[in-house]
Amino acid sequence: MKSDLIREKPQREPWFAARRDLSPRRASLLTLLSFALPLLVWSAVSYLPFLWHPDMELQISADRENVTTVYVAGDRMSQDFFPEFQESVRQQNKALEAALASFDPAAEAPNGASVRRANKKILRHLAPLLISNGWITEKQAKDDAIIYDAWGRIATGAKLPTRPRLSDENLAIAAINWSAMSKVSPTYASDRFISVPLLSLVPQGRSANPDYLPAPHEVVITGIKDFTAPPEAERPSMWQRVGHSIRIVFGGFLLAALVGVPIGVLCGTYPVFSKLIEPFTDFFRYMPAPTFSTLLVAIFLANDAPKVALVFVGTIFQLILVVSNTTRRLEMPLLEAAQTLGAKQRQLLTHVVIPGILPNLYNDLRILLGWAWTWLVIAELVGVKSGLTEFIETQGRWRNFDSVYPVIILIGLIGFFTDQILSAFSRIFFPWTAEAGGKPNPIVRAILFIPRWFRDAAAERIPYRPETRTRQTGEA
Amino acid sequence: MQTLVDHLSYREQSDAVRSRFEAMKQRPVVLSVRNLYKTFPTPGGSVTALKDVSFDVYRREFMCVIGPSGCGKSTLIRILAGLEDSSAGQVLLDGNPVSGPGPDRGMVFQSYTLFPWLTVKQNVMFGPRMAGQKGAAVEGEARQWIDLVGLSRFENSYPHQLSGGMKQRVAIARALANRPRILLMDEPFGALDAQTRCQMQSYLLQIWKNLDITILFITHDLDEAAYLSDRILVLKANPGEVNEIIEVPVPRPRTPAQFVSPEFIATKYRIDHLIHPETAAETDSIPFPRMTVAGDDVE
Repeated sequence: MKSDLIREKPQREPWFAARRDLSPRRASLLTLLSFALPLLVWSAVSYLPFLWHPDMELQISADRENVTTVYVAGDRMSQDFFPEFQESVRQQNKALEAALASFDPAAEAPNGASVRRANKKILRHLAPLLISNGWITEKQAKDDAIIYDAWGRIATGAKLPTRPRLSDENLAIAAINWSAMSKVSPTYASDRFISVPLLSLVPQGRSANPDYLPAPHEVVITGIKDFTAPPEAERPSMWQRVGHSIRIVFGGFLLAALVGVPIGVLCGTYPVFSKLIEPFTDFFRYMPAPTFSTLLVAIFLANDAPKVALVFVGTIFQLILVVSNTTRRLEMPLLEAAQTLGAKQRQLLTHVVIPGILPNLYNDLRILLGWAWTWLVIAELVGVKSGLTEFIETQGRWRNFDSVYPVIILIGLIGFFTDQILSAFSRIFFPWTAEAGGKPNPIVRAILFIPRWFRDAAAERIPYRPETRTRQTGEA
Repeated sequence: MQTLVDHLSYREQSDAVRSRFEAMKQRPVVLSVRNLYKTFPTPGGSVTALKDVSFDVYRREFMCVIGPSGCGKSTLIRILAGLEDSSAGQVLLDGNPVSGPGPDRGMVFQSYTLFPWLTVKQNVMFGPRMAGQKGAAVEGEARQWIDLVGLSRFENSYPHQLSGGMKQRVAIARALANRPRILLMDEPFGALDAQTRCQMQSYLLQIWKNLDITILFITHDLDEAAYLSDRILVLKANPGEVNEIIEVPVPRPRTPAQFVSPEFIATKYRIDHLIHPETAAETDSIPFPRMTVAGDDVE
């Protein structure tokens, strides 16, 4: 008989308990959130108009007399200045209205040629609006005949723009301008174009964030566009750039590891090497690697060699010290035990020190690979700019920040996933470590899924081996 | 206790025990320690850890070393293992002076010193491999040693999958696989819980009985010393000197039932008598404030 007394008590796990593990479900949820939240904040700031949005992005712009700063559609200005900008254009229009209402279409006005040139500019101020409404393509932005035609349609109300709309004020201006323009010629002809100043469209805009914070969808769209663009003569494709950057980072890092790991292990094992090498290394690592860039160019000349060398210089001194420390952390009793079992000095190094530090060494190298990535940007600026950094530099200078973000994010992703993959493999390489028995985090689990699947599939075909399949603990 | 047992009654040996000791002393001396000194230099002058320590261990003897904390037990065994140098004196193994560590003196440490990257079997094969032995013979022999400590099911497990007691059993097998002349054990069961320790002691006696092996065992546990040893070397602290070598009058084979036999208690009482004055002096010097209500005494 089942007693009510032993009924399970509903478990209420606290969210905040010092050092207490969360349930796997909560842990996974929080891992997901830690990526979702920043994305959510970015989206909120970008898509909710009442959040931040300190600027106006111009949809229709205008020139002002005697003002040298020119704003074109797509430019941004602060919300405070925008009404002032509109007002000055209105004032400018007011002065012209009378002349435009009462001109003689047949007569050529004085200084007609320069007015005509200014009028053509006003004509084209409508182009961005027509593009965003899909009436014309970007290539037709300077096709005056089509734009002239569009002015007519808007003024007569035959077809009105909807994305965005034209303000009533601007519809009225369009009507005034068109009535004057159409008196000279109903269709566009460059020799028969109005020579009296037209009214400018009053600037229209929408609230926007500064150009250094593009919205997520803009970043995604630009990113896809950049990364699918084919390479041109002087411009490598994005994937070629990625490959180049990875070669620099891994080249420099692997060279540093190749040289630094043996030195570090020797320093950590034999005090002779430690005292001989470490003090200078310790001093040298405080000299910032970028300060050697010109020197490295002088030694290694142009191309990639000085870049790889910079990553090497930036990594190796840290690496030697970290590896020697890791080696020293190997428990002394293991070395003593090996000696009482008959191990000679050289055997201590090959059979105890090296296998003993491998898991920690592997972790150190993982962390140092992260270091190597931080040198990438400086390395690619050394000598001839190259790779992803060159792209970031150029696009940033043009204020194309929607092109810059995908690259920055991609570098982050490469670094992050390399690290996670290496961390996942550490469980396979080093099955004897206690961590290998613990539960991996969701990202590692996802990465390990593929190799585990292969292993399990293989295990089904190979006869059952109890020693690899079962974990036994406790006293026999 | 003083009224129940005379602390000198441990000297009364039964005939069987006496003849055992006589037979033992007929055997060759495996390890001989001659006038051993060890001093450590410190900023405040040198400290003497061991002073004029001399003793012999006979073949197939089980000897325990016991003493108050700080008496240099561990220093002594580390010198015997060759992990530290003595300041003066000699250590002779089968009559030959030794220097430096070697596979002829196996050692089991208090901390777990199995190589974590090797399986149980590979750990046991470590010594023979270092000596350059290869092939199936080494592996087969390693299996035998693992069988001996009852861990054949775990020969392919890694140390982190084993309990503390199992780890120490592997450590014993690993040391024995080198076929050492003497097995040095530095408080090997100190980190284990009481029940496992008891089990391990019986295991160790089994192994010792069935092999041609001499054991020198360091402990701070009176029961352990009295239960395991033929003779107990009692050290004095500051500096570490030989206080007395006790011949344990408890007959063999030993069983846990003997823990309450008069010989056993007399031996323990004798060790306690030798070690206690130093420990007691320390506790007595701690001032003890009264924190209970007067009249509410428990004693």
